[in-house]
Parts: sequence; structure tokens; C-alpha cells
Amino acid sequence: MKFSESMQKLDRRYIYIVLAIAVILPLVFPIGFKTYSTTPVEDLYRHIDAIAGRDDMAIIMDFTHDPGVMPELYPMDLAILRHCFERNIKVFTISFLPQGAAIIQLALSEVKEDYPDIEANIDYCNFGFKPWGLKLPIMLGMGDDIAKAVETNSEGLKLENLPIMQDIKNYDNIQVVVEISGSSMGQFWVTYARAKFGVDVAVGLTAVMAADVYPLLQTGQFIGSLGGLKGAAEYEQLVDIFAMNGQEFSKKKARNMKWVEQAYKNIPEKARLYKYNKARIGMDAQAIVHVLIILFIILGNIGYFLEQREQKKKYMK
Amino acid sequence: MKRQIPMMIVLILGLLFVAHVFIPSKLSADYLDWFMKWTKVIGPFAIVLGVFSLVLVHYNKIKRKAPNWGYSIVTLAALVITTAVGFIWGIQEGTPYMWIFKNFNVPLGATMFSLLAFYIASAAYKAFRARSIEATVLLVAAIIVMLGRVSIGQAITHWIPDITEWILNVPNLAAKRGIALGVGLGMTATSLKIMLGIERSYLGGKD
Repeated sequence: MKFSESMQKLDRRYIYIVLAIAVILPLVFPIGFKTYSTTPVEDLYRHIDAIAGRDDMAIIMDFTHDPGVMPELYPMDLAILRHCFERNIKVFTISFLPQGAAIIQLALSEVKEDYPDIEANIDYCNFGFKPWGLKLPIMLGMGDDIAKAVETNSEGLKLENLPIMQDIKNYDNIQVVVEISGSSMGQFWVTYARAKFGVDVAVGLTAVMAADVYPLLQTGQFIGSLGGLKGAAEYEQLVDIFAMNGQEFSKKKARNMKWVEQAYKNIPEKARLYKYNKARIGMDAQAIVHVLIILFIILGNIGYFLEQREQKKKYMK
Repeated sequence: MKRQIPMMIVLILGLLFVAHVFIPSKLSADYLDWFMKWTKVIGPFAIVLGVFSLVLVHYNKIKRKAPNWGYSIVTLAALVITTAVGFIWGIQEGTPYMWIFKNFNVPLGATMFSLLAFYIASAAYKAFRARSIEATVLLVAAIIVMLGRVSIGQAITHWIPDITEWILNVPNLAAKRGIALGVGLGMTATSLKIMLGIERSYLGGKD
């Protein structure tokens, strides 16, 4: 078999082995590639951070995603929750998927471990799972009265009696709805909650979905977005260098890598925990895999053109 | 009558919703309130229907010993066990329900999704070919975006992330918006066809 032919007929199992090694090695031995922040992520961070310490404003996090997309989306869940708890920002969590409700439990308990002063129903409130069929009445109903639309939290307690709801009535008290999902669920929030009540919406999406949101970002219908593991890594970094250092957000500082490196030196020990660095460690593997896929494309094309040339020669003879 | 009554319901509710969106008034707000209450009652029935349908399909598969009927036993067992532990011990952190979620659902789900990386790598080698000018443009754009979305791109030159942003913000955005407009117009046309009774496939079967 000729070289070009063997290149074309390469057993795909070799590709799988090379890929597996390229994924596993950087996860076991992190390389520590730098993370560069981008505008959609910075916009979301700044928007959430603007209500730090306020009792009359909150954010809603919609965890309508299942465990399949957790490697990409779970670091976002943790990073945003950590930002809220660190900066005393009230947060509501909800999911229209049953698996999403379990992910909320998992994320809340992981972040709460490091914030013992944060209390359920005072600093945050988990609305839990609400059936998919109720998403429309809940999204629309929250425009008038959140307590009336959602009724109970995940423990079955009436929302109207909870301390967190004292100064929070409807979307006027919601700074942003952050939809974290591997689907176009964010567009439902735009169609029903933003179009009718003007509430700001942002999304956290898997990388394959990230390109879909650009038209909505340009029009301002999404005020920010976290695209895949990279978006999560950027948000993790912003939380570390600003929130964990007790600093106000500054775009200029966020993009000055020397300042970022300096800021990392001052972050508290709890920010160095593996669970808060998952996305950045994962980005090492993703960077290597991207380069590997590019190499595969180039090698595959070299084989293709060599084979084409040989066929042409054969035909000429 | 079997077809006319549902069609009448669709037409009346469709017109009422159009009126609700375009004519803001107290009557319109009251209508929405009424509709919400009905949806809250009807919505959860979908879950009952879904569970019933799932049990029926897999029960029949097991009964007929259809190909791969063993998987149906696993499905039904998972349904019964997860529901039972959820009802008995609750679904909070530290319960058997969360143990099942963390040790079965999470790794199985992640495994399925991560297979995508292997398929993409294999497809990159076997199928992404610069066979035409269009395919070559696509390949070059893909390579730039792949590099621009990781820090290696920035390390090579700041132009790579800049070009990546341009690709996503200009050609990608234009194409997506074109598609969205087409889908939007299509949805409007289909909704009108359903309301006017031209499109009847949602009624299922024949008379």
C-alpha cells in the first residue's frame, strides 16, 4: 500500500488513541495556558457585579441543562454562584429539567461549603424543578409577581413568606436572567420575559451553540454570553482577579495580562481549589485538542492531494 | 365534528393570543391570568402521560421479547428505583437520589457527550477535504476559529483572536440572522395556516 493510500485508510482507532492522550495528559499535568477575557463575558460579569450588596435586586439562574453537558456548563454554574456569594448578590435558581434541579443542588452545596455565612432563603433561593409545560406561565407570571408565579421553593415553602422576597416583587427587581443550557432555551426568555417586561437576559452555552447567539448579542437582546468551556474559564478568572480580591471590575485591568498575573498572587486560598479552576484546567486540554484537530485536517488533506496526484498520473499513463 | 371542534379551539385561542399581544388592556391581562391557571393545571399532566407512555412502550418490548429488550428492563428499573428513592428519602444533597445522580447520571451523560470529540477528530481527518473553493474557505475559517478560541491563537499573534471575532461577528452573524428571519417568517406562515385550518397534520390520522 502506498503512503498516500495508507494515510487515507488510517484506522480511526489510532486517531482515538492520540486524541485520548491529548485530552488526558493536560488534565493530569496542567500546562497553565493564559486566559484572555472577551467582551460578552466581561459584560455579564459587570452587569451582575453592579448589584453587589443590594437587597432589592437579584439575578435568576436557569439551570435547564442535563449532566451530558456538565463538563462545559458546570464550571459556569460554580463561577456565577461563587461571584454572587462572594459579592453578596441575591440569586434565584430554577430548572425546567428534572436533572437540572439535581445540578442546582450539587452546585449550591459545593459553593456553600466555602461560604458558611450564606443562608438559604435569605441570600439565595432555590426554586427547584418546575415542569417544562409551566415555563411559559412562570416566565410571563414573574413579570407581575415572582412569588405568585413560582409559588413554592424546592423545599415546598411558600415564596411570599421567605425573607429574600421582602424587597423583591417582579422583573423590576431582577438585574439579569442567566440561562445556562445546551439548547436555545435562552431565546424563550428573550421572547417572553425580555420582549414583554424588558428584563435583561444572558446565556451560558456549550461551545457548539456559541455561534448562534451573536445576532442576539449584537441587538442587545442578550447582554452577555459565556461560550463553552472558554467562557467558563474567562468568568472563573474574572471572579478570581476582581471579586476574590475585593476589586471593582475594570476592562482595562482584565485585559492587562501583567495586572492579571499580579492579581492572581493575592487571591485567597479557597479560590485555588480545583473545583473553582476546572474550566481553566480543561482549557489546557481543549487548546491541545484544537491544535491536534487542525493537524488532523492538514494531514488528511495532504493524503487526499497526494492520492489525487497519483490518480492523475495513472490516468495520464 | 371530531375535526371541527379542535380546529375551532385553535382558531379562537390563536386569535385571542394575537389580540392579547397587540391590544394591551385589563381584559387582555385577565385573559392571560386565566390562561396561566389553566396551563398550570394541564402542564403537569404531560409528565403523567410521558411516564405512562414510557412504561407502555418498554413493557410491550419486554413482553414481545423485541430486539434489545434487556435495555427496556434497565430503563424501567431505573425509572422505578430513582422515583422510589426520591419519594422515600427526598432529593436533597446527601440522599440516595443524589448518589444515583452523581454516580450514574453524571458520568453516563458526560460519556455520551464526550464521544463527540472523538467523532469530530475522526471526521476532521477523514472527511474535511479542500475539494472546492467553498470547502477551502470553510476549512480556513474553521482553523482560524479553532485557534482563536484557545490561548494558543493569542500566543501566536493577536490577529488570530481578532479575525475569529470578526468571523463570528460579521459573516456568521449575517448568515444566522438570515436563517432566523427565514425561520421566523416560516413560523408565522405555519401558525396562520394552522389557525385557518389549512395545515391539519396536528390533528393526526384521518377522520
